[in-house]
Amino acid sequence: MKTNLKKLFAAALAVLFVFALSACGEEKVPVIGISQYGEHESLDNCRTGFLQGLQDAGLVEGTDYTIDYQNAGFDDNIAKQIASSFSANNVALMCGIATPSAVACYAAAEDKDIPVIFTAITDPVAAKLDSGNVTGTSDKLAVEGQLELIRALQPEAKTIGILYTTSEPNSVSAVAEYQEKAASFGFTIEAVGVSAQSEVTQAADTLLARGVDCFTNLTDNNVVGVLPAILEKTNEKHVPIYGSEIEQVKKGCVASVGIDYYELGRQTGAMAAKVLKGEATCAEMPYETISEYGVYVNYAALEEMGITLPEDYAARAIDALA
Amino acid sequence: MLELRNITKIYNPGEVTESCLFRDFSLTVQQGEFVSIVGSNGSGKTSLLNIICGSTGVQSGDILIDGASMLHQKEYIRYRRFGRVYQNPALGTSPNLTMYENLSLADNKGGRYNLAHGTNRARREYYREQLAALGLGLEDKMDLRMGSLSGGQRQAVALLMATMTPIDFLILDEHTAALDPKTADTIMALTDRVVREKQLTAIMVTHNLRYAVEYGSRLLMMDKGHIVLDAAREQKAAMAVDDILSLFTSISIECGN
Amino acid sequence: MLNTILETCAGTLTQGLIYAILSYGIFITYKILDFPDLTVDGSFPLGAAVTAVLLTRGVNAWLTLPVSLLIGAAAGLCTGLIHVRAKVRDLLAGIITMTALYSINLQIAGSNLTVERAVDTIYTSAPVMAVLGGVPLLYRKLLVSLVLVVLIGLVLEWYFSTKNGLLLRAVGDNDTLVTTLAVDKGRMKILGLVIANALVALSGCIVCQEGRSFSATMGTGQMVFGLAAVIIGTTLFRRVSFVRGTAAVVIGSILYKLCIQIAILLGLPGNMLKFITAALFLVILITGNLTGRKGGADGAGAA
Repeated sequence: MKTNLKKLFAAALAVLFVFALSACGEEKVPVIGISQYGEHESLDNCRTGFLQGLQDAGLVEGTDYTIDYQNAGFDDNIAKQIASSFSANNVALMCGIATPSAVACYAAAEDKDIPVIFTAITDPVAAKLDSGNVTGTSDKLAVEGQLELIRALQPEAKTIGILYTTSEPNSVSAVAEYQEKAASFGFTIEAVGVSAQSEVTQAADTLLARGVDCFTNLTDNNVVGVLPAILEKTNEKHVPIYGSEIEQVKKGCVASVGIDYYELGRQTGAMAAKVLKGEATCAEMPYETISEYGVYVNYAALEEMGITLPEDYAARAIDALA
Repeated sequence: MLELRNITKIYNPGEVTESCLFRDFSLTVQQGEFVSIVGSNGSGKTSLLNIICGSTGVQSGDILIDGASMLHQKEYIRYRRFGRVYQNPALGTSPNLTMYENLSLADNKGGRYNLAHGTNRARREYYREQLAALGLGLEDKMDLRMGSLSGGQRQAVALLMATMTPIDFLILDEHTAALDPKTADTIMALTDRVVREKQLTAIMVTHNLRYAVEYGSRLLMMDKGHIVLDAAREQKAAMAVDDILSLFTSISIECGN
Repeated sequence: MLNTILETCAGTLTQGLIYAILSYGIFITYKILDFPDLTVDGSFPLGAAVTAVLLTRGVNAWLTLPVSLLIGAAAGLCTGLIHVRAKVRDLLAGIITMTALYSINLQIAGSNLTVERAVDTIYTSAPVMAVLGGVPLLYRKLLVSLVLVVLIGLVLEWYFSTKNGLLLRAVGDNDTLVTTLAVDKGRMKILGLVIANALVALSGCIVCQEGRSFSATMGTGQMVFGLAAVIIGTTLFRRVSFVRGTAAVVIGSILYKLCIQIAILLGLPGNMLKFITAALFLVILITGNLTGRKGGADGAGAA
């Protein structure tokens, strides 16, 4: 038994050794550790954009930097371990995609004060990522633009339904912002909170029963994850859903004023490039948001709902399916 | 003195499977008696023990010790005055603790199970003597896990544990039934010695007619919730295994056993 | 290069150690009481939620440890009472408390919380800095965690050897015996759940300080992790009598985290991590069973 144990430990250590070795072989090239919370179109787009942003800044993968990409499979505890392994591997920079991964990276980076860049975080202030050796980009929703869009597309609408996860700080703050700003556009907000993804469709039924005129989405992972099931219900009742970004419009939401996560990632990549080149530190750069929002539409979904685009929107709308 | 007064015990009352085991059943066991109970399967022997110990409730009647009712006492409270050895040797000891730890636990019965050290070096020699007196060589196995011992060895320790602290009644629930004949004889002889030495009142359910005749001061034979034979002292002393066997067979035939 | 290996090991060890405290709890419920306690998935984030709130309010980091212990004990008490007094099945009793705790945790924390770097955790607190101030944070975390885990392990081993501890071990082994010893076995089961969940919440507290965050979903799968750690540890060391149960559990916990670390180093896709850990878990169990077979089963089940 004892020898077996020894073998097991030896094997485990050997594996660690080999990989630590291989990681050290290219010691000259700085490593960027990307920790992504899970595989999800928006987050994937962010990452692709991030890599593009680095290249746009003139950096070349392999000579200027290498990428160590890890994905936590939506498990907070694995996100923590990924972050601590980045720290142990002395990465030059950590990139956290989505709040749990970014928070874990920043906590692990404390050891050696490794710079951390985040993206796809709605509220960096609430996540305490607004000061220190950390910066990045926020995917804060364009609430006013979205309300304006809904008003233009549905002049008669009175209530907007929102589904959100009560434990998501991003969602909670977004709902509060919608409630605050809805009145000036003549809307009232009906928000239903859930604690788990399994409750979302039921909550959608509740909103439909309350007779909302439309839904608007946040970037709430639990809700977006079951979007097709929600669309099935709303389409039957002829209630349009407005998305919060292009991927949701592709799936069948009528329209969205929102950010393109690829663009957001590129902007983040540009920030990371500055840090790598030594042009600026994370502490010097405040976090950024995207100022230019696009209007994405799904013409088929609009037609099904019997909504016609007003001319001013028709001119600048981007066909999400194109 | 232990008294069962007008006990009625019905299983699954109100259901289709309802069956009445005891109706108006009474029994008195005097101080210092060693009662052996025999009977066919389903005659109510083990149920009787369970009723006495509180492992199972009754519909009506009363159970008294020295005139005081203990009907409403919880099972674990009743065990302050009872010791019990089960048919299954695994039930009398804790298999993952050592024999020493098991004996220490039993030695503390009636005391407080607090944060004092669980085993007591000063008592180790006493346990050793007690084990040596069993004559099974167990005194050298005190630091072994209980689960690694044989059924007979475990049953011997269980008997020692059940009688380690002062108790009034010893309940023996077919405690030799799971053992091979030779070990069963050893355990039965040990039981008799312990009961005599500690002057316990004992109630023993057994399938072994020979033990029922050879040991104890009183013999009960039960059938379908009734006592069909109650032989004490001289009457019992005059009985032979064959007498009991013929009576027993006649009951069993009636039952279709 | 050597440095990277050492640091990777230190990081993994720290993770294994702080989660080992949770495994201690599972060791008590699963291995000693034979109780599959799902409360864990709720009491682990409970400790973290309380800690995150207290830390952000400026409470001393060391004070959050006893507070977490107490509040975790309360969670265990709930499961215990539901199971023993209300006679709800073990698995269901745990599920009920766990479900309620999900809401309670969010009620306590408001939402997912982050603890700023400016706030001192046990790893950066004044007494630790006084002794280990010169040690890099990575190794300081390892040392502090190690001391805590060893200390708690020693206290547990001491407890298991007391009269009360022996009785607790006996209740999981054979509760009939405990009844015949004139002790209420229900009360002992409740006590076991109280101790176990106090430890689990303490683990949540320390994990929260190490990772500077609380999230409502951090408890998901912790019961399974703890079970894996306990089973890996006790299976591997079954034949090595001098290794205490608690030590085996700590090593099990470290091995589990090591498996994940290897998966991360191998660059395996995140979506496959759980599958890979399951596979490694199975391999360890099978190896353990093969070498442990000579011992045989003692079939000493209690009714």
